[in-house]
Amino acid sequence: MSSLLKNRLQEERKQWRKDHPYGFFAKPEKSADGSLNLQSWTAGVPGKDNTIWENATYPLTITFPNDFPSKPPKVRLPAGFYHPNVYPSGTICLSILNEDQDWRPGINLKQILLGVQELLDTPNPDSPAQEPAWRAFGKDRALYEKKVIEQAKKYAKAG
Amino acid sequence: MSRVEGLKCVLGDDTYRKIRNAKVLLVGAGGIGCELLKDLILLGYSEVHVVDLDTIDLSNLNRQFLFRHKDIKQPKASTAVNAVQSFNFFKTKLVPYQASIYETDLFPMSWFEQFDLIFNALDNIQARSYINKVALLLNKTVMESGTTGTNGQAQPTFPYHTECYDCLHRETPKTFPVCTIRSTPSQPVHCIHWAKSFLFTSLFSEDDEPVVQPEGKDTGELGTDNQQEIANLISENNELVELKRSIASEDFVDKVIAKVFTKDIENLLKISDLWKTRKQPTPLEYNNQIKEKVLKISKEEIGTGQREWTLEQNLKVFIDSTLALQKRIAIEKEIEFDKDDEDTLNFVASATNIRSHIFSIPLKAKFDIKSIAGNIIPAIATTNAIIAGFSALLSLKQFDESYENRIQNSKAVFTVSNSDKFVSPSMLQSPNPKCATCSAVRGVAHFDTSKTLNDLLGALQSTYGLDEEISLSLGSNLLYDIDFDDNVEKTLKEMGIVDGVLLNVADETDKYQSVKGGDLKLPDIKMAEKPPVEEKEENDQDDEEDGVELINDNDDDLLIVDVKEATSPDKRKAKAQDYDDTHVTKKPKTDSEIEIVE
Ligand SMILES: [Zn+2]
Repeated sequence: MSSLLKNRLQEERKQWRKDHPYGFFAKPEKSADGSLNLQSWTAGVPGKDNTIWENATYPLTITFPNDFPSKPPKVRLPAGFYHPNVYPSGTICLSILNEDQDWRPGINLKQILLGVQELLDTPNPDSPAQEPAWRAFGKDRALYEKKVIEQAKKYAKAG
Repeated sequence: MSRVEGLKCVLGDDTYRKIRNAKVLLVGAGGIGCELLKDLILLGYSEVHVVDLDTIDLSNLNRQFLFRHKDIKQPKASTAVNAVQSFNFFKTKLVPYQASIYETDLFPMSWFEQFDLIFNALDNIQARSYINKVALLLNKTVMESGTTGTNGQAQPTFPYHTECYDCLHRETPKTFPVCTIRSTPSQPVHCIHWAKSFLFTSLFSEDDEPVVQPEGKDTGELGTDNQQEIANLISENNELVELKRSIASEDFVDKVIAKVFTKDIENLLKISDLWKTRKQPTPLEYNNQIKEKVLKISKEEIGTGQREWTLEQNLKVFIDSTLALQKRIAIEKEIEFDKDDEDTLNFVASATNIRSHIFSIPLKAKFDIKSIAGNIIPAIATTNAIIAGFSALLSLKQFDESYENRIQNSKAVFTVSNSDKFVSPSMLQSPNPKCATCSAVRGVAHFDTSKTLNDLLGALQSTYGLDEEISLSLGSNLLYDIDFDDNVEKTLKEMGIVDGVLLNVADETDKYQSVKGGDLKLPDIKMAEKPPVEEKEENDQDDEEDGVELINDNDDDLLIVDVKEATSPDKRKAKAQDYDDTHVTKKPKTDSEIEIVE
């Protein structure tokens, strides 16, 4: 493993620990020996208030590849997540997570998660990743909103 | 004049004497390695150890001049060593190893310590980077060399004094976004990635992580409430998984063609927004009539793949290679892509071209696809010989009187083909202060792994004046930070801090944030009798102590602890964990000093 990767992942943990946006969480997964695996995180992104995504926290998994930060992390929502720019597997089609588009090694976890939050309510119809949500978003907005609100209930914040 | 007299004349008595006593390591016995081995014995080095894991391949013979046709499949290291015996005029002792340099059982840190110099003759970044770390740990000079086509470079690296291998930012190999590969290819290389990393991997390899992650693999995680939509969405991938299940069936290849070159393309066309600004793909037309015509194509017509194939010829190759792979997978269970494995290369080359045809992308000859898919950089014997020669010549400077002189007198040498001066020297660069590998301060200490994490924290704090806001991690595993103290009562051993692992200790207070360029100067101290952690432990010192290596990072007071087990000198032997940063050395107790270097 490269020193760059180690140093950077420690930095990500430290930065997040010291400062993260309200309503978000992000933590490395626990390994069998009780240590935390800094290459594999789980996180939660709250839907923005006053949008059809509100009152829910959407779970993400974030995997940092060995060549991070040259390469972006893989960020996934649950498989089958309903959103025009989310693949059936849950992989998110977001330009800042795309090495050939807007990924820069300086982009940190906070920016990524804020980017995902932003994408939720502002899908990009030019970059379809799944058919149902993309189709409904373009052609049957009422159906789209109904599905999104149903999904928000599924991921509703506890309490 | 005898050869010895001649060599003395050339080198001077002093260098001659030193070189006749010098023991060096040569890592790699390939293109540069063969040349370098010849050069080193002709310079009269006393002892050369040669490490190479590879065996000789037909394709090596055009430039690795120590090998002959009869040597194919023989180990490179021992074959090279035997080949040079006929001109081993100065009776250089030669020791070959057919092994991976990463094997810490065979090559622990203590083994590297015996060498006066390390010559790298490697062809990959990973191994160079590994030797770089070894050199930084042991403070060894490395003679680095490398060539790409007519470009080459040779230079010594002096740990912490001149730039290290990792100081230069190295481009990682290009990968492409899933969207481009899966839906909207526009260059041959996109189709090659699709054929190699998606199609081939999905059908013939069990690899969980193909280079381009196909989406939709984890269908097991699906929620149940919107099953209907999901079923439709993931069908493309499910069909491929389904197809793989029928890999033994007779019409497998027809099914593959119908799905990936026709049906999937038709489905893509339905997403009309994709094609507003792009040329639409044309699904492959494939039926029994076309199939019959294709199957009639002869082997002669296909040829060796130097020139481009027509669409029909590509289909023929695709069918034949799929049938061959189908047969093999029944026995081999999974097959990895290998540019030298004709079946896998034919499959990838033909699939690439059929897809290129569909997307109106120029077709490529198999030969070209091979070099792209196999990431082949052409190797030229002449460049290797020139660069190896310079590496050997530059090594003579390493026998100059003082370390400062050696650095002063050393140069980097590089070749540039498109200038009127083919070979140019350049000054050695200073280390890059941002280099994550060498912009650090290191040292070695010892402790007992039955102590708890808390003991270690206390020791680090009291020794280095850190407060409790530090973090401890092994590789990318975090063991402790101020918000994660679950493990403090566990022993170091339980947390994996055992023989030879590198432990990072980072200050997280931002105290040193404003201090750049390693201004946190830990003095050049030697603490053989009082390693830092041992101070905390009163009476339980025994032979099973562990060494610590401390590294200070330029902006975060990062310490890396390399745990080393110390034993009595007669028990000099080592074992290790097998990852990148792991080193184990059982050192004689007298070696167990802390040395903190900038
Ligand atoms: Zn460096």
